[in-house]
Amino acid sequence: MPLTQNSAHIPRFRRENRKLAQRLHLRSASLLVSGSRVPGFSSAQVERRGSGAEDPPPRRMPEIRVTPLGAGQDVGRSCILVSIAGKNVMLDCGMHMGFNDDRRFPDFSYITQNGRLTDFLDCVIISHFHLDHCGALPYFSEMVGYDGPIYMTHPTQAICPILLEDYRKIAVDKKGEANFFTSQMIKDCMKKVVAVHLHQTVQVDDELEIKAYYAGHVLGAAMFQIKVGSESVVYTGDYNMTPDRHLGAAWIDKCRPNLLITESTYATTIRDSKRCRERDFLKKVHETVERGGKVLIPVFALGRAQELCILLETFWERMNLKVPIYFSTGLTEKANHYYKLFITWTNQKIRKTFVQRNMFEFKHIKAFDRAFADNPGPMVVFATPGMLHAGQSLQIFRKWAGNEKNMVIMPGYCVQGTVGHKILSGQRKLEMEGRQVLEVKMQVEYMSFSAHADAKGIMQLVGQAEPERVLLVHGEAKKMEFLRQKIEQEFRVSCYMPANGETVTLPTSPSIPVGISLGLLKREMAQGLLPEAKKPRLLHGTLIMKDSNFRLVSSEQALKELGLAEHQLRFTCRVHLQDARKEQETALRVYSHLKSTLKDHCVQHLPDGSVTVESILIQAAAHSEDPGTKVLLVSWTYQDEELGSFLTTLLKKGLPQAPS
Amino acid sequence: MAGPARYREPRPLLARGPQRPGLEAEVEYRKRQLPWIPRRTGLWNPCACKSYQDFHAFDLSGATRVLEWIGDKGVFVAGYESLKKNEILHLILPLRLSVKENQGLFPERDFKVRHGGFSDGSVFDLKYVPDTRLLVTSGLPGCYLRVWQFAEDSDVIKPVSTIAVHEKEGNFWPRVAVFSSVAPGVLHGARLSDLKIVDLESQKVTYSSGISDSEELSSLQVLDADIFAFCCTSGHLGIVDTRQKWAPLENTSPNLGSGEERWCAEVRGMDQGPGSCIASLGSEGQLRLLDTRDLCHPMSSVQCPVSTPSPNPELLRVSWAPGLDNCLAISGFDGTVQVYDVTSWDGMGIQVEPLFTHRGHIFLNENKMDTAPQVTTHTWHPCKPRTLLSAASDASLHVWDWVDLRASC
Repeated sequence: MPLTQNSAHIPRFRRENRKLAQRLHLRSASLLVSGSRVPGFSSAQVERRGSGAEDPPPRRMPEIRVTPLGAGQDVGRSCILVSIAGKNVMLDCGMHMGFNDDRRFPDFSYITQNGRLTDFLDCVIISHFHLDHCGALPYFSEMVGYDGPIYMTHPTQAICPILLEDYRKIAVDKKGEANFFTSQMIKDCMKKVVAVHLHQTVQVDDELEIKAYYAGHVLGAAMFQIKVGSESVVYTGDYNMTPDRHLGAAWIDKCRPNLLITESTYATTIRDSKRCRERDFLKKVHETVERGGKVLIPVFALGRAQELCILLETFWERMNLKVPIYFSTGLTEKANHYYKLFITWTNQKIRKTFVQRNMFEFKHIKAFDRAFADNPGPMVVFATPGMLHAGQSLQIFRKWAGNEKNMVIMPGYCVQGTVGHKILSGQRKLEMEGRQVLEVKMQVEYMSFSAHADAKGIMQLVGQAEPERVLLVHGEAKKMEFLRQKIEQEFRVSCYMPANGETVTLPTSPSIPVGISLGLLKREMAQGLLPEAKKPRLLHGTLIMKDSNFRLVSSEQALKELGLAEHQLRFTCRVHLQDARKEQETALRVYSHLKSTLKDHCVQHLPDGSVTVESILIQAAAHSEDPGTKVLLVSWTYQDEELGSFLTTLLKKGLPQAPS
Repeated sequence: MAGPARYREPRPLLARGPQRPGLEAEVEYRKRQLPWIPRRTGLWNPCACKSYQDFHAFDLSGATRVLEWIGDKGVFVAGYESLKKNEILHLILPLRLSVKENQGLFPERDFKVRHGGFSDGSVFDLKYVPDTRLLVTSGLPGCYLRVWQFAEDSDVIKPVSTIAVHEKEGNFWPRVAVFSSVAPGVLHGARLSDLKIVDLESQKVTYSSGISDSEELSSLQVLDADIFAFCCTSGHLGIVDTRQKWAPLENTSPNLGSGEERWCAEVRGMDQGPGSCIASLGSEGQLRLLDTRDLCHPMSSVQCPVSTPSPNPELLRVSWAPGLDNCLAISGFDGTVQVYDVTSWDGMGIQVEPLFTHRGHIFLNENKMDTAPQVTTHTWHPCKPRTLLSAASDASLHVWDWVDLRASC
């Protein structure tokens, strides 16, 4: 049993030594007990997960590694790999809306060329339901093949499959794409989802835990804290630092993560105030109805529709307008259903303002009937779906498109291939089914209420979370140097902007908790000097590493526990002294010198001429060749290492001149 | 107190005139009735909707006293806080403002930060050197001007050099103007006596006033390749030809009211040669118009309806509209910017009414009513005739295209 004497250095186990480390359960070491961080000890962890027939790649790393597969210096198909304390997590699994080819999805072959994804990932986390954050999920889990857990919030779990299905329909039915994921795949994929609540700590396994924080942005959007032991990473997803009419502002506690990964879509943007956007929206609607036109607002059942309704209702009230406002019935049912389910998500900070009020109980806004579309005179209609690709909104659009007095307001993004996308890109003649050509004479307006944090918001969030480092995704590096400098200057943290496929490696200094036995502690205290919280103190003991547990015990106890016999280990050192006198006299001089120097220690002069200080034995001998030199043999046990080295150093300086 | 009945008749919330009795009561009422709507919603008012063709409000990271154009699509802003790092930002105007026709709800309505830099001192004045990538800033500490450079391939504005200024007194800082030519020159000075032109490249002094008059300057404006105008805080105005020894056409203004006022000025139509007009604004709201050919006799002198004398006369601004005849804007008294048509001003001491008053900084102010922000500066859009940019002490920056209601009446 190698009972190494070692008080100055803690053994550093490299990764290749892992197996060795597993076998060596016992190490004798001295630790700075009151300082909890043990530098250089981070990698000394024991591989715990069982390995299958094929050995997975080394998982334990003493650092945090981040590799964006999408969204690195780029917007769209968000997908970021994070490796933290040996756990691998994939953050978001988005698709790029601008591409129809391979570039649409992140390059998952980066994770493994031919192995099973499940072996390489501990979990997948989805921040919110936007397709650029979850659009590749069925492809990833069902077509590439991943069977591990997928975490998302409850609202995201509810809305995500609807959007995926809509997207699938457009891609397959409208654009005729083959080799696309199927409805069944979406369902199967959603079976792997584990829904989480806000601020709920979820144990993915014994070591990896995640926690969701409110992110604003859209219903159910969350920021996630990923934590292993004392190391943590926060991923923001998309977030919004200013509350709006139906969502609150993102919030996170001072969790001081090792790394904050934040989106920076609007980092170089100074956003126009929401009120001005709303004012324009109202002005446009008002002008149109005033001149007798009809306004169509295609919306997705969730998200901004409620906000726009509240806005119009208030404006109508204020202006005492009588023009009817309708919303399609499917919309209200769906929306009310979701809002009842997820009311806590909408009112994080603005519950009081929204007073428990049915989101769709409006004075001016009434349910729409298909026949109303042909009514003469002005009206405003909210209808689904939001991209004008099917259903009621498309029907109404076809009826109204020919009249230049009318207007359609698109309140969000439209996927390529939809009518919404076509008219937004300026197309005025649309080919409908049956070779019919629809001429669009009505006004087409686009209005973005998208809620992302701008530079100010990013700074606020960094200030809130107080991370050790910041990593920016979404956005061009060239345009973000100023922001990077700003973050580094204001918070004195480093800031990174990796491109897709580029890995940022951040060294960490993990703290490893070590339990100390009561006996050892009592013994230390018996030697006087109570431990002080702020002062590190040297303590001798034996470190036992067993089952990922670290305990510091007295060496006697360690021997007992492990059933080992004690080996005595003595160190011997020769110190040459210039002294022509006899050995006995030299020993006497050494004795009186040490006696006067080491007042607190027991210094003895033994009858055989040797000197002892505690367990340290000093003998004087004649030099074989030089009679003017004496040799001091100093010998000590490893327990008295410090005193031993102190004595040798002291003796090497020589003895004081004897009084003449 | 205003009650529901009163509210039913929509009153012009942003109507003309400085006094708005019952405003607080109305706001209170609205808060009670429509709790889910923030109270500062004057913008939705029908009158407000018609008052502005366009209105955009932005929140900067720090308040600016600088709005310096670079072309007609970019503008520089800079922080002026003391004892803090201040940002200098090159902002690109919202795309929406660059398109010829106002295309309704055009999506791009945000400013983009194109370049940014950090200044250790406060920035009170910033001038872009045309046809270069250089900026000159002035502020406190006032012992030197800073020269900055920005690049195409990076978004960082870097300091490149300084121009020493022999200003020893702590609270004075030099005003700056730029002669743009093949060899750009920086005109600067805190007082008449230390007015100098420094060649930007060689840093050699190419002109100095050489007089002992230590009057404090408030405005400097370059009129053409050799001529500049100055205004002292006392109201002393002059036009200087740098090809000659110091012999300005000037108005020494011995009798300008109480003597407590401070003045600033702007010359209209720099390219229109002699015969253009100077507007000079006093801290109590007096506005004088002078013909550059006869500075001794003001053409008119009017009183603008300002609620209080300017609390910080350094923030006084008067600016001529580049795209409108006879229009100017003033700010620096409170949270408003007032626009005037000077066409029919021909008397002395008459009271005038603004054509338009921008109160957005008060209405959109996130703070309480009693700490209304002060407008720090404003500027006209070089091409869009009725569009102005204004900034206030609460770090707000507004872009607004006002409607001349006279035309629609």
